[in-house]
Amino acid sequence: MSQVQHEILPKPSHDEAARQEFVQSFKVYLANRVSPGNRQTYDDRVLPAFREKHGRDPANRYEVRKAMARDRYYQFWSSLQRTSQEMMWDSVSHSVDRQLDELIEKARRVNQGKPLGSLKLDPGMELPRYHAAVDIHCQPGGYHTELKEDDVAAGAIYDRAVYIYTMGRAGPLNSDMGDSAVNWVRNQYPDFKPETILDMGCTVGHSTLPWVDAYSEAEVYGIDVAAPVLRYAHARAEALGKRVHFFQQNAEKTNFEDESFDLIVSQILLHETSAKAIRNIVRECHRLLKPGGLMVHLETPPYAAMEDPFDEFIMDWDTYNNNEPFWGPSHDIDYHDLAAEAGFDRDKVLPTLAPSALADAKGRTGKFQCGDFAGAGEWFLFTARK
Amino acid sequence: MLVSMLMAVAGELAVTRDRLDTLERLIEKHGVLDRDEIESFAPDEDVQAQREVWREEYLERILRIIHHELQSRESGESDEGYERFVEEVTRS
Repeated sequence: MSQVQHEILPKPSHDEAARQEFVQSFKVYLANRVSPGNRQTYDDRVLPAFREKHGRDPANRYEVRKAMARDRYYQFWSSLQRTSQEMMWDSVSHSVDRQLDELIEKARRVNQGKPLGSLKLDPGMELPRYHAAVDIHCQPGGYHTELKEDDVAAGAIYDRAVYIYTMGRAGPLNSDMGDSAVNWVRNQYPDFKPETILDMGCTVGHSTLPWVDAYSEAEVYGIDVAAPVLRYAHARAEALGKRVHFFQQNAEKTNFEDESFDLIVSQILLHETSAKAIRNIVRECHRLLKPGGLMVHLETPPYAAMEDPFDEFIMDWDTYNNNEPFWGPSHDIDYHDLAAEAGFDRDKVLPTLAPSALADAKGRTGKFQCGDFAGAGEWFLFTARK
Repeated sequence: MLVSMLMAVAGELAVTRDRLDTLERLIEKHGVLDRDEIESFAPDEDVQAQREVWREEYLERILRIIHHELQSRESGESDEGYERFVEEVTRS
């Protein structure tokens, strides 16, 4: 199964493709053959040494991290994992740079025809610090950096790299997160027919388009803080024949009127924000939802669902090693409290696990572990009705 | 030391690359191949699957050593155990 080569997706040359394929194989290999050894080395070597020294088991993931940091197997895996991430961005960004002018031109042409959807940027928008202070998951320049007029590089790089990062397990359109959330909503609320849908933190629209397909009568809106990914998202949606209205807006405080939406979704957004921002976002969801409206935020499962501090520790690798500073803290959140603070009724809050739409995809390890995209074949959903 | 090794490997890869380039140019000169065909070559599902298998075996060979470490421990090998064996063969 290959990524769908839509019109705006960068086309790799022979060697660029080979380089990218190698990184993907490298990541698959690490997830399947090397990462599981961390558990073994913990059980066999690190845990017994900890017990001998302290007379007890590690109390939390921080103690596991301190103990594992000195283990050479873990050090080696960690180094390989980080290297695979840097190689991934490198293999894609050179390919995008080579054809950037052409991609920018293609994205511009979209608006010269009769686009199905629309794009509205806000050049004066201030980027939130949690977004701009670090390059999220080590993507050089993050989602927001612009080096050329009408730049789309960040979006083009992201589109291709996500396919490599997920090792193809998000499907040919990188849509598994959106597809999985759609499936859950349809099963849970078969009679729910939203007329207006908002996708917060949509980046290039991987998870936005499944909502267009699921509810073809609805008007679908996507917002993000970064202009280059939105330009690309617009061009991509048009190339795939989907009607979406993209806006450059901050999900913490949007310009939409009260009670504008029947359904508000986000996919892997919350962990990229901050403790304060996540509260603002959920409060904003409450303001924007119509009475009876539904919000669905997709993430990986909170650490409370993990079996022991080791699993928490290994899931937490990205917090310290992949520029995901809010990854760990966001996995400690009590979602009932968070929603209640924002105005939702506690009994209308439902945190739940939902199967991945591609749960049977080739090569699943059945594990929640770092660098093993949806390895367990399940997603966590934070949902609430207003 | 590691940098020196890496640069040596990078150098050898450049040598292989030049050799491949020579090969392509000669084949093209003899009219057997149009080199643009290589750039536009789209591997089918079978070829992709075969390449994936090859890359996995390739990574297996390169990363052999980290599996070796866990396997050694699984089979009860250790530095102390080896030293005890040295003592044992010294005595008997």
